[in-house]
Amino acid sequence: MASNKKYWKSVEELNKNSSIVAKLEEKEFVSEMTADEFLGDKESLEESSTSRRDFLKYVGFSTAAASLAACEGPVRKSIPYVVKPEEITPGIANHYASTIADGYDFANVLVKTREGRPILVMPNKLANGSTNARVQASVLSLYDSLRLKGPKVNSNNSSWSDVNTQIKATLAELKDSGEKIVLLTGTLASPSTEKLISEFKAVYGNVEHVQYDALSESATLDAFEEVYGKRALPNYDFSNAKMIVSIGADFLADWQGGYEKSYVEGRNVSAGKMSRHIQVEANMSLTGSNADKRIVLKPSEQIYALINLYNAVTGESLPSKATPRDAAISNAAKQLKKSGRYGVVVTGIQNKNAQLISLALNAYLKSEVIDIYAVRYTRQGNDTAVDLLLSEMNSGKVGAIITYNTNPVYTLADSAAFVEGLKKVKLSVAFASSENETASISQYTLPIPHYLEAWGDVQIKEGSYSLTQPTINPLFDTKQFQDCLLSWSGNEESYYNYLKNFWNTEVLQGTSWNQALHNGVFTPSELVVVELIANSIDLVKSANVLLSSVHTGGFELTLYPSTAIGDGQQANNPWLQELPDPLTRACWDNYLLISQADATEQGFSNPVRDNGAIDGQYANITVNGVVLENVPVLIQPGQAKGSLGLAVGYGKTKAMKTDMQVGVNAYTLAKDFKNVQVASIENIGGAHKFACEQLQHTIAGRYEILKEVSFKDYSNSNLDPKKSWNQITKVSLKHEEVEVNSVNLWDDQDRSIGHHFNLSIDLTACTGCGACVIACHAENNVPVVGKHEVRVGRDMHWLRIDRYYSSELDAGSEARENNTNSTSDSVDDYYNLETPEAENPQVSFQPLMCQHCNHAPCETVCPVAATSHGRQGQNQMAYNRCVGTRYCANNCPYRVRRFNWFKYNDNSEFDFNMNDDYGKMVLNPDVVVRSRGVMEKCSFCIQSTQAVILKAKREGRKVAPSEFNDSCACSAACSTGAMVFGDVNESNDDIVGLKEDKRAYRLLEFIGTDNNVLYQVKVRNTEEA
Amino acid sequence: MSSHYEAPIREPLVLGEKSYHDITVDIARPIEGKANKNWYIAFTISLIAFIWGIGCISYTIGTGIGVWGLNKNIGWAWDITNFVWWVGIGHAGTLISAVLLLFRQRWRMAINRSAEAMTIFAVFQAGLFPIIHMGRPWNGYWVMPIPNQFGTLWVNFNSPLLWDVFAISTYLSVSLVFWWTGLLPDFAMLRDRAVKPFQKKIYALLSFGWSGRAKDWQRFEEVSLVLAGLATPLVLSVHTIVSMDFATSINPGWHSTIFPPYFVAGAIFSGFAMVQTLLGIMRKVTNLENYITRLHVEYMNMVIMFTGGIVAVAYATEFFIAWYTGSPYENFTYMSVGAATGPYGWAFWSLILFNILIPQLLWIRKFRRSFIISFLISIAINIGMWFERFDIIAIVLSKGHLPSTWARFEPTFVDIGIFIGTIGFFGVLFLLYARTFPVIAQAEVKSILKLSGENYKKLRDGNHE
Repeated sequence: MASNKKYWKSVEELNKNSSIVAKLEEKEFVSEMTADEFLGDKESLEESSTSRRDFLKYVGFSTAAASLAACEGPVRKSIPYVVKPEEITPGIANHYASTIADGYDFANVLVKTREGRPILVMPNKLANGSTNARVQASVLSLYDSLRLKGPKVNSNNSSWSDVNTQIKATLAELKDSGEKIVLLTGTLASPSTEKLISEFKAVYGNVEHVQYDALSESATLDAFEEVYGKRALPNYDFSNAKMIVSIGADFLADWQGGYEKSYVEGRNVSAGKMSRHIQVEANMSLTGSNADKRIVLKPSEQIYALINLYNAVTGESLPSKATPRDAAISNAAKQLKKSGRYGVVVTGIQNKNAQLISLALNAYLKSEVIDIYAVRYTRQGNDTAVDLLLSEMNSGKVGAIITYNTNPVYTLADSAAFVEGLKKVKLSVAFASSENETASISQYTLPIPHYLEAWGDVQIKEGSYSLTQPTINPLFDTKQFQDCLLSWSGNEESYYNYLKNFWNTEVLQGTSWNQALHNGVFTPSELVVVELIANSIDLVKSANVLLSSVHTGGFELTLYPSTAIGDGQQANNPWLQELPDPLTRACWDNYLLISQADATEQGFSNPVRDNGAIDGQYANITVNGVVLENVPVLIQPGQAKGSLGLAVGYGKTKAMKTDMQVGVNAYTLAKDFKNVQVASIENIGGAHKFACEQLQHTIAGRYEILKEVSFKDYSNSNLDPKKSWNQITKVSLKHEEVEVNSVNLWDDQDRSIGHHFNLSIDLTACTGCGACVIACHAENNVPVVGKHEVRVGRDMHWLRIDRYYSSELDAGSEARENNTNSTSDSVDDYYNLETPEAENPQVSFQPLMCQHCNHAPCETVCPVAATSHGRQGQNQMAYNRCVGTRYCANNCPYRVRRFNWFKYNDNSEFDFNMNDDYGKMVLNPDVVVRSRGVMEKCSFCIQSTQAVILKAKREGRKVAPSEFNDSCACSAACSTGAMVFGDVNESNDDIVGLKEDKRAYRLLEFIGTDNNVLYQVKVRNTEEA
Repeated sequence: MSSHYEAPIREPLVLGEKSYHDITVDIARPIEGKANKNWYIAFTISLIAFIWGIGCISYTIGTGIGVWGLNKNIGWAWDITNFVWWVGIGHAGTLISAVLLLFRQRWRMAINRSAEAMTIFAVFQAGLFPIIHMGRPWNGYWVMPIPNQFGTLWVNFNSPLLWDVFAISTYLSVSLVFWWTGLLPDFAMLRDRAVKPFQKKIYALLSFGWSGRAKDWQRFEEVSLVLAGLATPLVLSVHTIVSMDFATSINPGWHSTIFPPYFVAGAIFSGFAMVQTLLGIMRKVTNLENYITRLHVEYMNMVIMFTGGIVAVAYATEFFIAWYTGSPYENFTYMSVGAATGPYGWAFWSLILFNILIPQLLWIRKFRRSFIISFLISIAINIGMWFERFDIIAIVLSKGHLPSTWARFEPTFVDIGIFIGTIGFFGVLFLLYARTFPVIAQAEVKSILKLSGENYKKLRDGNHE
């Protein structure tokens, strides 16, 4: 049924004759749009030559152009300066003197910045500064992406104004109720901060400042205080020592901060002097490996040895016990007596009475090596005070605890007590740079700036003041501890102004602040004479107490700071994690060191896998009922039988990238802050994967690689070095024996024109500390590759320090003669040469980088000429040209070339600083980041040598003698001056003399590569009494 | 080329009652007929291995050389081992077709075609490795001395790797031309027999319009002779140059003046062993027992014994010289007490066993003339020669000048996968070849049929009685 209904829209529609309706029916759209109108004038359109084909062309082109424009390259955010800062010129580095004082490492440094970013930390030579690997690497810790980025309250983000108000309120409450406020800090050694704390005390009344060192020197401080009435560490100047006896003191590494500089000054063989150094120790330490004689004794026996030494020198008879090496000890005593005031005894035994005896012995010798006036303030921790604090916290006597620069939850053996105590405290504030173990359980977590972003002052030793200055705007929303204290004390002044006023009034003695800031250090011209009392000590009583404190039975475990990680503050620093230990050459790990004899008894071994990686079993260590599980075991030649070693600073999990969470926390075993514990171990098997960079321990009879001579032979002017201890390999030329370097198959270029660089490495002065390795990483953007890659032999170190063990033969000519005749090569001989003497080997270090051969084997074999020789002696590597055949590396007798097996930047498989927007800020803009598949190696820091040349050119002068000395990052970082870099065509350069030195030799000279790196024969003072 | 008299005491080279037509039919059978089941099985396995190899190569190029087992001290291992191994295998073909041609050795006629095919396919495999072992293979063309936009940037003519590029590309092109020249009359034969138009067209193209006129044959003989003259020095030069990758370097164990002759001998040794292996299978599969006879096998075994002897003497020399220098740096070369007792002792002893001891069995005539024992020995030699290159590369690099740089090498699945892949690729090529190419130079074999054919010999010998 169809409907005939009609729908209408308007009444007009009903009118059939309406013109409007008719019009609408014709044209639906009201406004007309003709093509002519649309395209414009019809006439011109007809005249125009745009045909259909043209139209399609335009469409095609514009589509192509649009799509091409859409395919733009990755956008790099680079924002130019609107107003150029006065001091920043892009491309030009600025240097600022500053000071690191993180409570563990103290050093005067020079910071290099580029475009406002610190990229390198070097020793401040104006302040006679020296840096170790950790100080060198500290610049990367600035760019740690896991740093705290803003204040937190109970782990929730907050703001500084809120936090300050809340804390101030709580502090005011506590002040009113008279509850105790405790500032728990690491060693500060900052005069201004100490004053600030006293002002804070004045405001809040019941305030106590407790200093706590993770690696305590409390015993030494106590002993010194008891004798001389001042809580400080004695200073040593080893440069004038003739005889050094160290009993368990690793003074070249971390014991109270490096003494390597003065030690090496005292062993300047070219100046005809060389101290003799006897080291008594259980672990194979860096110091022990540099010693002329190493006496292996367990920690308990070291105590007897110290007393026996005292008795032998003074003729007294303090109660003691015999040790297996008493003959050697009495021999040492004889030499010590003979050296008189040039002799010194240092001891690392963490026992007040032992330190008292050592102080007494030095006093008896009237030693001039020990300095009791210019004392050091680099360790101020007080174990008793920390113990007291813990018990007070747990008994609810503490109202507030403010921690700064310390991480007791991680470093205390009894951290559970601290955690429990913290719960009973009304206010807990942690100043920390990252959300570490302590910060994460404190109520308030306040981010502090890195030292490169902060102001500060440090008194490293009496009579020397240092300044810390910021070298970059704070990266994150951080505030200095001092600024907060000022604000909480009601002082609205900034810490910068406070510091400046403090220095102007109390330190500078009227001299210029700007000058002090420029130098980074200030030494007052008028020294305040220190009054010291000298208490007499009942040494017999001390010795008795000491003897009764000796615990034996089981293994004696020494907890030590490793060269790379130290106390563990910078454990999240990939450079340090990948720095191999100088002795074990393992990295990314801590491990239980055990002697070969004990390992055999306990069933431990370190099998080498087919891919060249070392494995080991796990042990459970039990100390006083505390069990540390799954500790990998590494056999250490030279470890005292019955003793063990374990590095602290590992096993951190908070604020650590996953790859960096390695090792076990050895602090849990440091009961009563003691670094020596009696332990029992249990072999639980398993296979731990070590990342070790060197498999072969000995030099395998290839003596000319690492030449050694005794000081006696060296000083013997009747002995011709070229015929005895620094022989050059002879070859036959026309049936006559000639020195190998007189034969040359090549038409040499004239190398006497322009600059020609050489690097000299003094094996006597090199302590093996590894600072150069880190400096090289920082300067040259050397990638970090991680534990697995190191394990399979793919570390990228451009500079490495080889370590060889040898038997304790009389180094020098006699040994050499004995060995050169032993050309018989029965199978037994091979293995005798390959296996190190396990009980007490000698150690030699050999830093090795590209030797920059004038006749480089790598250069001839590259098919695309990617590596070629520069006019200035450098063997250059053109990364862009490299196709990666690796032939150059195979043909390098020194094996210093490193291949980019993978892409190491912007790759989540290698989640280290180059995969991180913050971490990348440390990259040196002068050095390219290498791509995958290319070879790389040491360049003699060509970017720096060129910069020196350009600077001289711009200033219209010749390069000054020795101006190149600090060009190479390694030689600039070397505290002991073992590495000297220079221009051999500049007759006044230091390098010229070194090149002609009778100790100079080239590595593997018989190959005829004509290296530009020289080695200076290692000298040992082997002469007994 | 062929003389008209052959001593009756010589064994015949063609067995059975063969006529010219029989030969044609025999050679054309695998091409014209259908493939059997064994062919399909072998082809599938090869193809899978090949694809697996492509996967491993793609993974390497996509991720980095780090997926191999190499490290900072051992920059080459399986890659260059495989390269030298394949190049070595590629040596027999040219020797058989060129040198034996010049020496008028007629027995080569039955085997030269396949030996040359093997050469070419082996050189393909060998050529892969120098490219994929590069860190940045996409820039591999930089090793060519071609004009470029980098200004005066040129290749380094000092580098043995560059010499390799020239040596191998020359060898490949000359071998290819030589092989193809020999193939022309045979392709023409197939063309003439082909019934399907498509097949006919293809073989017509491949035979370059061979018409079989006397002039064709004359030019054919001339070109063969000229090419043989050109190819003969290549037999010596290619592996000489490959050996210089090692000999001109300074590693103890590599830096050795006897490498060039010793490598050439080793290459022929391994090449003949590979020919022995392949023909041992092929004569069965394609029913060519009448053409590849005991006599052929024995002759090849004699070459193997001779070159194997040279190789053994070279080993002994290397061992002696390493010891005689008295230099501690030579204590661990690949031929030394250190190598024999060190971590790579197993590789050292594999080399001694497979390359020196087992081939000595060929002194016994019975073994020399046994197909199965020859086949097994040839496989042992293939393995032994692989170990020789592995030992030279890996053992030497693992014990460099400085003891601190001593290292070890373990292959990853990618190292192994790529090697298997090249074997698969080789298999694919060879199997396709066996189905489409005349695997025996029938034109040449026909030229000696009346001379060395069994029935003709019998007829002749009968006349003497």
